[in-house]
Amino acid sequence: MSELVVSGLNAGYGGAQVLHDVSLTVGEGEICAILGPNGAGKTTLLRALSGMVKGRGGVRLGDAELLGRSPDALARMGVAHVPEGRGTFMPLTVEENLRLGAYTRRDRLEEDLDRIYGYFPALKPRLKQAAGSLSGGEQQMLALGRALMLRPRLLLLDEPSLGLAPLITRELFRIVRTINEQERTTVVVVEQNAHLALGIAQQAHVLETGRIVLSGTAAQIQEDEQVAQSYLGYRV
Amino acid sequence: MTGFLQQVIQGLSTGAIYASLALALVLIYQFTGIVNFAQGELAMFSTYIAWQFTAAGMPFWLALVLTLVVSFAGGMLIERVIIRPVEGAPELTLVIVTVGLFIFVNAAAGWIWSFLIKDFPNPFPGGAFEVGGLTVGFQTLGVFAVVGIVMGLLYLLFQHTKIGLGMRAVATNPVSARLVGIRVGVTLALGWGLAATVGAVSGVLVAPLLFLEPNMMGGVLIYAFAAATLGGFDSPAGAVAGGLIVGVAETLAGAYVGAIGPDLKVGVPLVIILGVLLLRPQGLFGRAVVERA
Repeated sequence: MSELVVSGLNAGYGGAQVLHDVSLTVGEGEICAILGPNGAGKTTLLRALSGMVKGRGGVRLGDAELLGRSPDALARMGVAHVPEGRGTFMPLTVEENLRLGAYTRRDRLEEDLDRIYGYFPALKPRLKQAAGSLSGGEQQMLALGRALMLRPRLLLLDEPSLGLAPLITRELFRIVRTINEQERTTVVVVEQNAHLALGIAQQAHVLETGRIVLSGTAAQIQEDEQVAQSYLGYRV
Repeated sequence: MTGFLQQVIQGLSTGAIYASLALALVLIYQFTGIVNFAQGELAMFSTYIAWQFTAAGMPFWLALVLTLVVSFAGGMLIERVIIRPVEGAPELTLVIVTVGLFIFVNAAAGWIWSFLIKDFPNPFPGGAFEVGGLTVGFQTLGVFAVVGIVMGLLYLLFQHTKIGLGMRAVATNPVSARLVGIRVGVTLALGWGLAATVGAVSGVLVAPLLFLEPNMMGGVLIYAFAAATLGGFDSPAGAVAGGLIVGVAETLAGAYVGAIGPDLKVGVPLVIILGVLLLRPQGLFGRAVVERA
């Protein structure tokens, strides 16, 4: 099935290695939070999973090896990556952005569009509007909606809270949880806001300078006060 | 007054030809961020191919369709072989590559077909018809019709097909386009193929008005640059409007401004380019991009 198994993953840019021997397993339909300070390699990990940077080691999704494939090939295999900065097609309309999310599919999309409007009713009245005219929160919803249009087996979210008001961020995480529960999509979410991410995740890993320094269930990580202080930057 | 309108119609007709070459420039700029100085030469080469087909006894319109198909394939091939290796290189590198392509294509055409001028068959009947005192040549009308059809097809492609949507996605955000599963390399090649096709139309339309020779498109390219600058390099509709405006301005200046006359009117596009760059660098329909320092 769609279990994600990362084993001994090394990745980086040019000569600079960022990830060192990262191994983790995310069960099908689980949410895994990747935490850690700036520059720890969280974004690089997601990029390696979606083919944006090359990696060595092993990344398996179900029966398929993901490493060594291009991002477009991985999208066709059901990997949806909402990148840092959301990756919105600014001059295109909201509806065109959503349709692009399903670019690899050949079937009818009307049902899926309705499903997206169900999750994000705010998008519906703005369908014909340029995506660039949306607010930050709406653009993040659009980015999530675009990813869902792929009907992904693996959903990668990079800092969904970045630049958003706390209230909107909470709403967004609630929706990610709902999507995960309803569609059994495996999710890997990278997040600065550890508290929020741990609130929806089953398990979490803390990255520091490209290595996993701590792994556990979300509850364990949440409870470990020392961990919280040294890695997450706040007291629980 | 009739004389004036007559000149305007004449200007719109030549403007339509500039518009199609300007559109080719804008397409490539949008997809690859490259200002393709070789666009005119590619159009010239396509026109020779059309000439070759008709010289072999093929009916004109069949020759045109075949030429467009060959141009499309040629454009894709050029993207693959010449442009792909320098993708993402600094602008100066890209400019030099397209200037090199210019010289190469020009020389190749001279080598294959010689630099002697050739008569290019005129696909349109010679007559004219009169509306309210205006005489409109079938030639003029034919140019409008062909350019209009090409624009219409492009509009349908970009606005109403999935592949067109994918092409616009690649033009706006290639990284994100790759993440949603679009084969960006193939799409860029398609963009070059499309531009070569649209450019070929301008060559085939302008050849009966001039003579077919390897340097035929030099002047037209300057007008097309003026058109694209005026309309905005990031706006296909702007390129078309720009082409029409440049065509009319050129014709009117040649006819009515004594100091310019028919000999100096090639200066008009240069004045337009300079004026636009000074007053409204993003062009009439372009978007100004503001970046924070």
